[in-house]
Amino acid sequence: MRLPKFNYLGPKTLDEALDLLDTYKDDAKILAGGTDLLVRMKKGLLKPKVLISLKALNELSYIKKQSGFIKIGARTPLADIIDSDLIQKEAKALFQACKKIGAISIQHFRGTIGGNILQDNRCHHYNQSDFHRSGRQACHKDGGKICYAREEADRCNSTCQSDGATALMALGADITLVSKSNERTIDLADFYTTDGIMPHACESNELLKEIIIPVFGAHSSYQRLAYRSAIDYPIVCAGVLLKPSLKNEIAEARIVVGAMGRSPLFLAQISSSLKGKKLNDTIAFKKAADASMDSSATFAVHNVGATLEYRCSMVSQMVFQALEQTAETIKA
Amino acid sequence: MATNISFLLNGDKISYEIKDHWTLLHLLREEMGLIGTKEGCGNGECGACTVIVDKLAINSCLYLAIDADEKIIETIEGLASTDGTLHPLQQSFVDNGGIQCGFCSPGMIMSSKALLDENPKAGHEEIKHALAGNICRCTGYVQILDSVEAARDKGGQNE
Amino acid sequence: MSNLNPDTNREFDVIGKRIPKLDAAQKAMGRAEYIQDIKLPGMLFGKILYCKYAHASIVKIDTSKARALAGVHAVLTGQDVPKKMKMGFYKDNPPIKKGKVCSFRDEVAAVAAISPEIAKKALDLIEIEYEELPGIFDPEKAMEKDSPLVHEYHKSNVLKLPWKLHYGDVEKAEKESDFVVEEKFTTQWVTHCCLGTSGAIALFDSNDNLTIHTNTQIPSLAQKDFLESLKAMGLENKRVRVIKPIIGGGFGSKLDTYAYEHIAILLAYACRKPVKIMFDRVEEFKATSTRQPTVIYIKQGCDKNGKLTFRDMRMILDNGAYTSWGATTPSVMMMPITSLYRVDNVKYNAKCVYTNNTYSQAMRGYGNPQATFAIESTLDMLAQKAGIDRVEIRRLNRNQPGDVTPQGFKISSCGLSECIDEVEKELTIDGPKEKGIGTGIASLIHVGGGARIYKSDGCGAILKMDDYGKVDIFTGGTDMGQGLDNITAQIVAEELGLFVEDINVVHSDTDVCPWDVGAHASRSTFVAGNAALGAAKKVKETILEYGSKLLDADPKNLVLKDRTIFVLDDPEKSMPIDKLLRKAHFSPQGKMLMADFFYDPDNENMGKEFKGNMSVTYAFGAHGVKVKVDEETGKVKVLDYVAAHDVGRAINPLLLEGQVYGGVVMGLGYALTEEVVTKDGQNMNANFRDYKLFTAKDAIRIKAPVVETYDEYGPFGAKGIGEPGCVPTAPAIANAIYDAVGVRIFDLPITPEKVLAALKEKKSATTKI
Repeated sequence: MRLPKFNYLGPKTLDEALDLLDTYKDDAKILAGGTDLLVRMKKGLLKPKVLISLKALNELSYIKKQSGFIKIGARTPLADIIDSDLIQKEAKALFQACKKIGAISIQHFRGTIGGNILQDNRCHHYNQSDFHRSGRQACHKDGGKICYAREEADRCNSTCQSDGATALMALGADITLVSKSNERTIDLADFYTTDGIMPHACESNELLKEIIIPVFGAHSSYQRLAYRSAIDYPIVCAGVLLKPSLKNEIAEARIVVGAMGRSPLFLAQISSSLKGKKLNDTIAFKKAADASMDSSATFAVHNVGATLEYRCSMVSQMVFQALEQTAETIKA
Repeated sequence: MATNISFLLNGDKISYEIKDHWTLLHLLREEMGLIGTKEGCGNGECGACTVIVDKLAINSCLYLAIDADEKIIETIEGLASTDGTLHPLQQSFVDNGGIQCGFCSPGMIMSSKALLDENPKAGHEEIKHALAGNICRCTGYVQILDSVEAARDKGGQNE
Repeated sequence: MSNLNPDTNREFDVIGKRIPKLDAAQKAMGRAEYIQDIKLPGMLFGKILYCKYAHASIVKIDTSKARALAGVHAVLTGQDVPKKMKMGFYKDNPPIKKGKVCSFRDEVAAVAAISPEIAKKALDLIEIEYEELPGIFDPEKAMEKDSPLVHEYHKSNVLKLPWKLHYGDVEKAEKESDFVVEEKFTTQWVTHCCLGTSGAIALFDSNDNLTIHTNTQIPSLAQKDFLESLKAMGLENKRVRVIKPIIGGGFGSKLDTYAYEHIAILLAYACRKPVKIMFDRVEEFKATSTRQPTVIYIKQGCDKNGKLTFRDMRMILDNGAYTSWGATTPSVMMMPITSLYRVDNVKYNAKCVYTNNTYSQAMRGYGNPQATFAIESTLDMLAQKAGIDRVEIRRLNRNQPGDVTPQGFKISSCGLSECIDEVEKELTIDGPKEKGIGTGIASLIHVGGGARIYKSDGCGAILKMDDYGKVDIFTGGTDMGQGLDNITAQIVAEELGLFVEDINVVHSDTDVCPWDVGAHASRSTFVAGNAALGAAKKVKETILEYGSKLLDADPKNLVLKDRTIFVLDDPEKSMPIDKLLRKAHFSPQGKMLMADFFYDPDNENMGKEFKGNMSVTYAFGAHGVKVKVDEETGKVKVLDYVAAHDVGRAINPLLLEGQVYGGVVMGLGYALTEEVVTKDGQNMNANFRDYKLFTAKDAIRIKAPVVETYDEYGPFGAKGIGEPGCVPTAPAIANAIYDAVGVRIFDLPITPEKVLAALKEKKSATTKI
């Protein structure tokens, strides 16, 4: 299977990369590990004229702790994140999520955290070969006006199946985007457009530079459901963060459900309902988990393999398990 | 666009004029005639095209040839000694029934080599983890895992 | 290993040894040449255009732009295919379709060009106007009167095939039964997923003789198919040479010829150049055939003691739009239906129904896994109803040596009872229960000594020896990774007192290899093995004759061992075999040692009533499994697996275990994860990410105890073992899940969502009570 033709540009510095991005804009795609991008190009889902490689930009590959934050360069390989004691200790959900991505030879060495966050939304009607898609009217994501996943839907219902994004959103991460003329840091939750066609609020001249995870005495967990142990996207996943108070009550909670909607779903209301609850309040956990299921069910469509009913009921399971596991870690 | 790249392939210095959109798999198989690296899916889902780049096992179908510039690349063709002696992993796959149709074998062996080079004492679960991206339809993996464990236990004594 | 026959304790030098696969080193070094790796001088690249509808009329095809593209040598449409060029035993499948298309995999045009890229570009330039027709995707609906017809000329969607049998009196037996279970089961499309995708290179010589390099399990029958194609093309009395490169997996997928092979022939003839067609993974998923899906209605009964009284089964098979071997799988389903356990009254009928889905082919087990899933699942239900232990009911009804089953199968050797023993030894089937953990057991019968489904079930072998004591054996049998090369070499080496490395097995070329019906029905060890043994025996006789002269001894007193011939009671009197060969060669009226042998087993074609001893011997086995069911997610984890098989004799335990392990894991995929997902006839998961094969991380440890029954007809007592490993896996798993959490799944694959839904239903049913 061959790739369509493109020109490869290998900037030596970040500034050079941003210059190129500013010149080519929509005609360019950023190449980090390539494990998502190159597959999409082979399927004809993307036809960029140039690829701007981050290969030489070692300045974007780091994991460090700095004044109460963990900072991760966007080009950091997943393998480095899995190997990092810092991440294992202080951002466990991210560690758990990265461990589950793909398979070791594919994603861990080549795949990057930035690439995982920026992986395109998926849908089993859209992620098909060129020929398969050419045999029918184009769907929203393919430039048409139809949704095959939900009848008469006026918009794209593709699903964000990023493990990393779900975990990071639970951790309350921010991300920094840079362009030739600007640099901005935003809440990861604000990075999503809720548009399945263009799921990320990223300007065509912007590049994801850094992920910033606050460290404030909270604990986290990531749970996912997939049919196999490897080479699988999650059919449902959940990231949870709990910060205990001195009285061992929940001072802060964040529940994020992934693989159900167009973006990871941060369930703010349900999360705050856990405030003040005891760490061993399984009934409260169960209630929050069920509420998460109801709340995320409205976003999901039947488009990633398993039936919708099953995925919905599993939301509750994944959230509950993640809550329990986080509480266990705190107690330990 | 054509670019000239240089790399070390199985110990040999290579300089090659490549096109930007070539994958490393294309370069090895179609251009250089190294048929040992197989294409099973072209999408990084089966591992038949696994080669080692700078000590890491990667899928060459999703690795641009241009990124091989200045790299150290190992393929299945480079494992056996020039006198024909098989690498201990190759020998172990042969001896323990790790090979049936053989189409996944080069990739399987390269993934195993990257693992044992890095961690000569890798346990059963670590081996399963390292081979998780290499699909095999013939063996049910049982004798493949046996092969890697037997090679590990011999600890490269054949080398 | 238990050995049931005390007479078989003869010491062997080669038989029974764990000798690595002969081509393994080549493969380990990446030197083995698959079809992917073969390039011929001047070769063009062919590509196929598939249709975009499940059912549509072709209104117009315009290929002018494609023809005009530089680098394109030929463009073919249905118009260019001779009328009589049709594939499959039902002859309903032209390699390129004309007038209308009936499934998404229908070929509508093909191109040959100087590069794959140009060929692809040319396909994009072909303009086709379709008029969509209503499709039919459910075989039961396709049987209804007003259903749209897939092929109007056929007048009905139901194929005219004779799958029907009735032995004894099922109605009467049912009335007299104390317990009866009646259920419906369904099984899905699964596919072979050979790691090496399909491909072929066709070329004609100046006399219009064809050579085709192709992935096939049936060189001789493929040759016949291609000869028929040539004849349809007006090329009478031509030669066809089929060369089989090393195959990246078979499992039944290469048991019929495919459109791409016939298209390669048409293109090669149109261009008079070699043309290669190579599938990518998506094409492999979409345009090769699946295992036959089924809807199964089953009724089984027993008396108050648990003795089986009758079995009544009816099946509806989704034939897809065209007919290949999938439609003949009922002939093998009959085997477990009539002959797995002793049951006197049996009724079966199967209807194959045209739909606008993909069509099915042979796949490891050939219908047996589907039928066994229903039989072994309901057997557990019957045991429960009758209050009899699950293992006990199997022992009680087990097949035994000397049995003749209702279908006329003569059970020569049978280790079913011992296999059940082995399972019980390795796994406590009925022990104390832990929550969510359960065990299951299921047995199997399969052909183990050939299967006469074609006019001949034979295989030829030609053996020649050189001046240096080396052997070339040309076998009709096909190695596709399973290890027939070893079996052949080991048999010949043992018989001639040579080492395995002295034997070169040639199994890849119809120009030099004799006829064989194909690598199917687990027949190669038995049939090709007996053919090789026959040829070796003939040569051995000549060697002994010369030996007797040269060593001045009675031939009966001569032994061949360690490359030497010697006198048994005077071992000092000996001669290296190579020396003997030279003496035979370099003497007046010299002689080179050669022999041929054609072995056609003494089995019977089944007549109109499907009665007859299809195989010379039958393979048996029992599988036991322990699973853990996560009651929150429905996920099933396999904790322990035992697969005990009666193999007659293990010629090579290393390779034998490989067949069992591989079969079991293929069976586990069938049971738990694998399914070709379709939407209105379109394959929706044509990739390894969405088609869920087990990964190494999902791998389990499997125990594979071998029961040796030493079959009197098998080469050194061996029976076939290629397919049995995947036959009883699904029911063993289903039975274990029931044991663990009390729900039974009737529909494969047993996905977590089905288990969870069943658990919920069970829970709500209990609360209602």
